[in-house]
Amino acid sequence: MSSPFESYDDLEDADERLQAADPAERRVAIISLGHSGDPAAVGHLANMVSDPDAGVRQQVAMALGEFDGPEAAGALAKLLVDPERIVASAAADSMAEFKDPACADIILPLVKHAHAFVRTGALRALKELRRKDAMKPALEALQDPDAAVRAQAIGVIGFLKLEEAIPALTALIQDPDAHVRRAAISALAFSQMKPAAETITRALKDGDWMVREMAADTLGLNINGALAADQLIAALADGFWQVRLKAIRSLGKMKIERAVRPIGNCVNHEQANLRKEAAAALGEIGHPDGEAFLAIIADDLDPDVRKNARWALQQIVARRAKG
Amino acid sequence: MALDQIVDGLSEVSCDVLVIGGGTAGPMAALKAKLKNPKADVVLLEKANVKRSGAISMGMDGLNNAVIPGYATPEQYTKEITIANDGIVDQKAVYKYAQNCYKIIEELDSFGIRFLKNENGDFAVKKVHHIGTYVLPMPNGETVKKALYRQLRRARILISNRYMATRLLKSADGRVAGAISVNTRTAEILVIKAKAVILCMGAAGRLGLPTSGYMFGTYENAANSGDGYAMAYHAGAALANLECYQINPLIKDYNGPACAYVAGPFGAYTANNEGSRFIECDYWSGQMMLEFYNELLSGKGPVFLQLKHLHEKTIEEIESTLHKVERPTRGLFQQGRGVDYRSESIEMHISEIGLCSGHSASGVFVDDNARTTVPGLYAAGDMASVPHNYMLGAFTNGSVAGIDAMEFADSHDFAAFDSAEVALERERVLAPTRREDGIPPNQVEYKTRRLVNDYLQPPKVTRKYELGMRRLAEVREDMEQRMIARNAHELLRALEVQSIMDCADMAAHASLFREESRWGLYHWRTDFPDKDNENWFCHTLLSKQDGRMTSTKRAVEPYVVPIADDEKDLYDKQRIRASA
Amino acid sequence: MPLASYQTQVPVVVDDAKCIADKGCTVCVDVCPLDVLRISDMTGKAYMAYDECWYCMPCEADCPTGAVTVNIPYLLR
Repeated sequence: MSSPFESYDDLEDADERLQAADPAERRVAIISLGHSGDPAAVGHLANMVSDPDAGVRQQVAMALGEFDGPEAAGALAKLLVDPERIVASAAADSMAEFKDPACADIILPLVKHAHAFVRTGALRALKELRRKDAMKPALEALQDPDAAVRAQAIGVIGFLKLEEAIPALTALIQDPDAHVRRAAISALAFSQMKPAAETITRALKDGDWMVREMAADTLGLNINGALAADQLIAALADGFWQVRLKAIRSLGKMKIERAVRPIGNCVNHEQANLRKEAAAALGEIGHPDGEAFLAIIADDLDPDVRKNARWALQQIVARRAKG
Repeated sequence: MALDQIVDGLSEVSCDVLVIGGGTAGPMAALKAKLKNPKADVVLLEKANVKRSGAISMGMDGLNNAVIPGYATPEQYTKEITIANDGIVDQKAVYKYAQNCYKIIEELDSFGIRFLKNENGDFAVKKVHHIGTYVLPMPNGETVKKALYRQLRRARILISNRYMATRLLKSADGRVAGAISVNTRTAEILVIKAKAVILCMGAAGRLGLPTSGYMFGTYENAANSGDGYAMAYHAGAALANLECYQINPLIKDYNGPACAYVAGPFGAYTANNEGSRFIECDYWSGQMMLEFYNELLSGKGPVFLQLKHLHEKTIEEIESTLHKVERPTRGLFQQGRGVDYRSESIEMHISEIGLCSGHSASGVFVDDNARTTVPGLYAAGDMASVPHNYMLGAFTNGSVAGIDAMEFADSHDFAAFDSAEVALERERVLAPTRREDGIPPNQVEYKTRRLVNDYLQPPKVTRKYELGMRRLAEVREDMEQRMIARNAHELLRALEVQSIMDCADMAAHASLFREESRWGLYHWRTDFPDKDNENWFCHTLLSKQDGRMTSTKRAVEPYVVPIADDEKDLYDKQRIRASA
Repeated sequence: MPLASYQTQVPVVVDDAKCIADKGCTVCVDVCPLDVLRISDMTGKAYMAYDECWYCMPCEADCPTGAVTVNIPYLLR
């Protein structure tokens, strides 16, 4: 009987197998190198990035995703600029798996590449590496003509959580692309400074409902979110219930007492999701004025609304008992 | 060579720690054991292939029990699990999980497993209901197995694929000594001596028969045939609360989850035919499943996952996760039916029964160090008794098991076992291959599982159980005396049927022992319709005593997170009806 | 008693023109949790030998050449 265990000798005849005349055989060899987990496989894979067969190069790009570090990054950098989209896409996906900050040395120059796809892939990979020297090129990339590049650059900057980036992120709320604006709002959440909260607040009036929704949600996560209480209350009249829902949740989380009435007025909304959040928020705030509104939905047709209403009443009673 | 031809062979290897099952808990256990003592030999034995095995073979779309600082506390989580399990919980293990799981999330993140993050790099934790915030989506969840496999290779774990473990070996003084396994493609026998053994063999998910009638269209990965439950039982380990079945809501016929946990944070919900919510219960529990079951039968059904009230763009986002990860054929299924989430709701149903602590509470009894009642034997994941531990619990408790098992192995030598046991087990395993004529495993399996549906599925009726057990005993005799396997693959199925039969017997035995109703639909006994805290506020432990299936009571350990008197019956009280 | 074979339409379909099992690839056979795929002695290509499918997709997702298609088993469809 042969060994019952998986082999760790994948590299033994690797060179010979990688030189097979048939591209399918080369692919098979690359797959086994990818699965080997042996860091020595990276060198063998790196030798294959110029293979004449695009399918083989795609396989190399996928296999390199199993490894980390500058050597793998170097090989993937070459595949990211491959003229074949299937190869470049695989390289971009693999690169995004890197965790070793040293990979950034290889990836950073690609942020200036002529093709937007390469710039996007490079920035996407840089996000998780959290290298401070990625800040400058990422800030520059915020001016990129391509929206996908700008959106990825926001992530690189946001992950670093440095206050110095706030003015640049703030400028993006004028961006023509809604995804970019949404990403910028989300990234601003970390800032401890008031201007960031003010920027998020302004986005409550954005033309796109998903941006407004993100702004309403993010204010609940931001340390200065309560400064926007009045604007969040105004957002309870938003045309989209999705935006109102997040505004209610953030107001509840921040326990804004003057929001009790406007939130209470939402308990008749036709969307059960909204009635439910209104009930929960009244409970979180715990102000006795909420009771009258909760009475309206105590017998709501929707059990989730009733449950939240009952829970909210308990909170109000408990708070009163404490004095 | 004929397909899967049977080869005569027997070999023996030895290792310090043997992990059986390479799905979720198993790889983590093996990795942690090896990192604890890099010089030791760790074997990871898997019936399929570690690359894509177990409940998360195709990944997972999110965590639903992530205890993340700032969003939930270990105390709060422990309380909720206690209430969801009607109080029958040894809290120590649950609390330990809750304390450790965030570290595990960070570790998984460092392996390259992707959790949803905000643009500032923080985990994007989602709220599903008002009580706790535990949901963390995994937009690239299909990378989970790949990332784990990478770690195993890096650590040079000895991986043994396509071997099915059949029985544990023990020494005369009752300590675990290793396991016997059989190659699923050649039927060759492999004996693995080990100082400590960790069972991570998943749920007993191939127990009931799905309504589609397709035997492998189960809620759980159909490879999870309860082999771990059966092996632990035959080794004399105690199994806890097996009467607390697993039943889940699912997409009708597709038999995969509809994933309220993915769609929920976006505003989707479960509704009846009138378009209204009907679930009163807050916790994923037997109580919730009872409400589901009642609604289906009430005339207000069918039950649907309601999405069409959501914005087009929101639905797009939900689809991109639901159709890519965990059960990616979900999209293909809906497409085939012509269901567009924008205009039509998704018909749901409840699953066949199974045993699975990951979603409910039935499993091999373990303490907070993942130790079973057999010295040197550990269990983790869906087959170990820590309730509601899901995927993250499998990772976290697998990690606990790996570390403790290696400590055990470091301080013990190999236990001696009787080699006659190996010879006997070899004959038992290969018996179906020695017969010229008989019943093929698929027929024995179908009949067994059909009987499970007919007689064991709740509501549990004593008379039905008695009849069912009699019929199952008849099929067992067929299985033991007349089942044939004509090649190694059929032998794999024949061995799985034996696990399924053992689990059916255990489920029936445990259900009759607990003379009360508890855990909603999971243990609804029509002859004992009420909860009886006076006599049954306890675990039940099932084990093999002198060759016979035996059940006993075990007291619930004192709580480490006190539950106030008014919270104790919160579970019953939370069914808040409209007063009209 | 004699055994009869049972007709069943298998859910997993392999495109022989794309399959490179004859070049040594075993990816789909390796990853199947239920071990139902085999490589044909006659054609050298992968095929579904046993209709015991959980329609879970690793065979299709991991196939390097896109040769494998998983369909929903007829009984569920």
